[in-house]
Amino acid sequence: MSKLYDLTLRIQRTNSEDGKPRYQTYQLQAGPIMRFVDLLRMINDDQDPSLTWNSSCEHGQCGTCSMRINGRPMLACELLVENGVEMFNTTTFTLEPLQVATVVRDLVVDSDEAYERVNRVKPYIIDPLPPGKDGEEHQINPDQLELYVDATRCINCFCCASACISSHRTFLGPNAMLATIVRVLDSREQEKKERLKTIYSDQGVYRCHTSKACSHVCPKEIDVAHFIALAKKGFALE
Amino acid sequence: MKIDIDSTLRCDVLIIGAGGAALRCAAEIFEKRPDTSIISITKVTHPQKSHTSTAQGGLAAVDPKDPLDATIYHMFDTWKGSDCTADQNVVKTICESAWEQILWLENRGMHFSRNRDGRLSKRTFGGHTRNFGESSIYRAVFEADRTGKGIMDTSWGETLKKGIRFLNQTIGIELLIENKQCHGVIALKQKEGAFIKILSKATVIATGGSGQVYRVTTNCRQNTGDGLALVLQSGLPVMDPEAVQFHPTGIVGPGILASETLRSVGGILRNRDLEPFMIEYAPKMKELAPRDLVARAIESEIRGGRGIVNPDHDIAHVWIDLTHLPDEVHEKQIPEVSSFFKRYVNLDTKTDLCPVRPSNHYHMGGIPTNAWGEVEDKNREIIGGLYGAGECAAASFHGFNRLGTNSILELITMGSLVGNKVVDYLKTMPSAHHDLIPQSYQPRFHNYLNSSGKESIGTLRSRLRTVMTEQVSVFRTEDSISKAIDTIEDINDRALHTSITSSHLAMNQELVQRWELENLLLVAKSICYAARYRKESRGAHFRDDFSVRLDEFNHHSLVGIDDNGDCHLSRREIDMSLFEAGGEHSEKFDFIERSY
Repeated sequence: MSKLYDLTLRIQRTNSEDGKPRYQTYQLQAGPIMRFVDLLRMINDDQDPSLTWNSSCEHGQCGTCSMRINGRPMLACELLVENGVEMFNTTTFTLEPLQVATVVRDLVVDSDEAYERVNRVKPYIIDPLPPGKDGEEHQINPDQLELYVDATRCINCFCCASACISSHRTFLGPNAMLATIVRVLDSREQEKKERLKTIYSDQGVYRCHTSKACSHVCPKEIDVAHFIALAKKGFALE
Repeated sequence: MKIDIDSTLRCDVLIIGAGGAALRCAAEIFEKRPDTSIISITKVTHPQKSHTSTAQGGLAAVDPKDPLDATIYHMFDTWKGSDCTADQNVVKTICESAWEQILWLENRGMHFSRNRDGRLSKRTFGGHTRNFGESSIYRAVFEADRTGKGIMDTSWGETLKKGIRFLNQTIGIELLIENKQCHGVIALKQKEGAFIKILSKATVIATGGSGQVYRVTTNCRQNTGDGLALVLQSGLPVMDPEAVQFHPTGIVGPGILASETLRSVGGILRNRDLEPFMIEYAPKMKELAPRDLVARAIESEIRGGRGIVNPDHDIAHVWIDLTHLPDEVHEKQIPEVSSFFKRYVNLDTKTDLCPVRPSNHYHMGGIPTNAWGEVEDKNREIIGGLYGAGECAAASFHGFNRLGTNSILELITMGSLVGNKVVDYLKTMPSAHHDLIPQSYQPRFHNYLNSSGKESIGTLRSRLRTVMTEQVSVFRTEDSISKAIDTIEDINDRALHTSITSSHLAMNQELVQRWELENLLLVAKSICYAARYRKESRGAHFRDDFSVRLDEFNHHSLVGIDDNGDCHLSRREIDMSLFEAGGEHSEKFDFIERSY
């Protein structure tokens, strides 16, 4: 348990003054169950307080600390040092921001810009089905819910969007697709037409090249590609 | 360096925060008054990143269709759970409108878990009973293990739909108050590094908790008590800051709850020598004893030198042993928590002992408000146009101890109540905004940016969090609290000698952390003074040197901090309207004993 790893972190830095990325290398020692967010905090406390990154819940529920670690989009709060060493077979790690929006500084990207694509698919019920009786909830069969409940687990960490081989300039993105697909399948949404129009628009699911990178990198282990395939098949349920 | 006001925004309603309480409030205002202009500012990168999103278990609400349950039972459980320090008018209002709140969420798309009939599934939770403590009851609706996320997604979607304006990564740094009337806030937009003035007719503080005051906490990194500091800096008090809840079994390292389920399925707590120690503290109930008792037992073992320290985290803990349980229990009954241990500490609950210890979890205390969320000063006079809702506020629904599943119920209900109050208030307001000159943020931020010295913000923050965890958490004594106060004063002095690497304001993380340090210090100080003053034990506030509840302390604490940094304590009476109303069951709402 007391083993220490000698780690090299090569971190992409971008300042707001000239906007040009460069790499800075930090050396540090850390135990096996320290997480990458802990490493970044150690660098801030002991070496360089100006290295800028972000996190919030730090246990995989909010998706704030997503970044590329050796090229792979993931949550820095979920990667333990010993697992990182085993996964990449190295003690040298390159940390870079996600490729989903303009970099604000170092590892922080402009999340407003990234979220704008989610906002465009209207992540809410556009035209709600009125409840049956006054004061009662809608009835939703658990088997029906099971068809889409996995897609509701998305936390908008944008790892899928960063891994996607389609450009975010032409594709709204896997996570945005999930947000609208859920509401196609949710019986409480009456506005299906507008949703389908978005899904089959020139920025919709046909931009997907079926690389399945989204499913591969999703920290919540959602089979994103399955839902996109379902949409491509015209929701064969219908 | 430009710390002058860069621009001024105007709106009807400004909400500081964008979590569950904030956005439920905004949604209510839009539904009642669609043309309202609402700005919500939040420190996090997006509302979905708020701490509300991490709530797991459920939402307590009495289903009117349930023949076994009744609202009065929920009110009783909440009152008893609060150790008789909740305000009964608030308890009544929230419990009575709970089901309405569930329907609001369900009708707007929250993906609640369902039973075979397609109706909302329900769970039992500790402290929730039928017939005044007779037996446990299925009262909590839920969305799998992500109920808070369901609330957050739904309320975010609704406000987006209605046209709210979000300023993400923006912090509120000075309230604009004149003659007991709030006119808005000074804010710093982090991305741009711009100080702005936001003038509003109504301002709602909904900034969430303060868990980062403690080193070991289940709270998100952003919960630094910002709203509490904001009111303290305006000369207003906070209420019951000493009422801080500690969960007995947080996972050491990431700070995630390892739910009580681990103990109810047969998990055994063991110390360094692998002794099952609960038998010493609760011979009959052992691991199934109430939360606070289990927390004190674990803390006693650690203090007695029978804890374990993993060098990675350097935080003493005990073990929870689940290795004797059949595979089926691990896979079917505790899959989520098992996966947390695997993912965050690389341990397999089937074969490994797992590290747990008491962890800061929830702040019952907060900004004092009346039952409608209007912020009050120490004389119970309302500050016009200023409201508080959610964990940062105290109306008070939880008193000195919160029941599981009551927190997210409180935040959506208080959010919607405040929304309604704001709509009424706006009818009385003139159309023009009142502009004010800020008083305090400039010298403060000037000092943050220009002070020079070798002190590290990170090191000072760690020192504060460590002393609070060691001296003012599960156990408190006159001595331990005084020790913490001395340390806080020392950190306060040292904080004058921190420096910030970059003078550029845009996305200056160090500047925000310096501001957070000041907030943490203010909140820690208010906790300590109130805890030292309250020479008794009540709910989550446990004094080794005064271990029972005393009638003379049957009141709320109010703590204010003046410009010299001196703390002033006063009291607020507990609302006893359910008891005073008389009639059937009113005796249940007297100062009863909290025993389970």
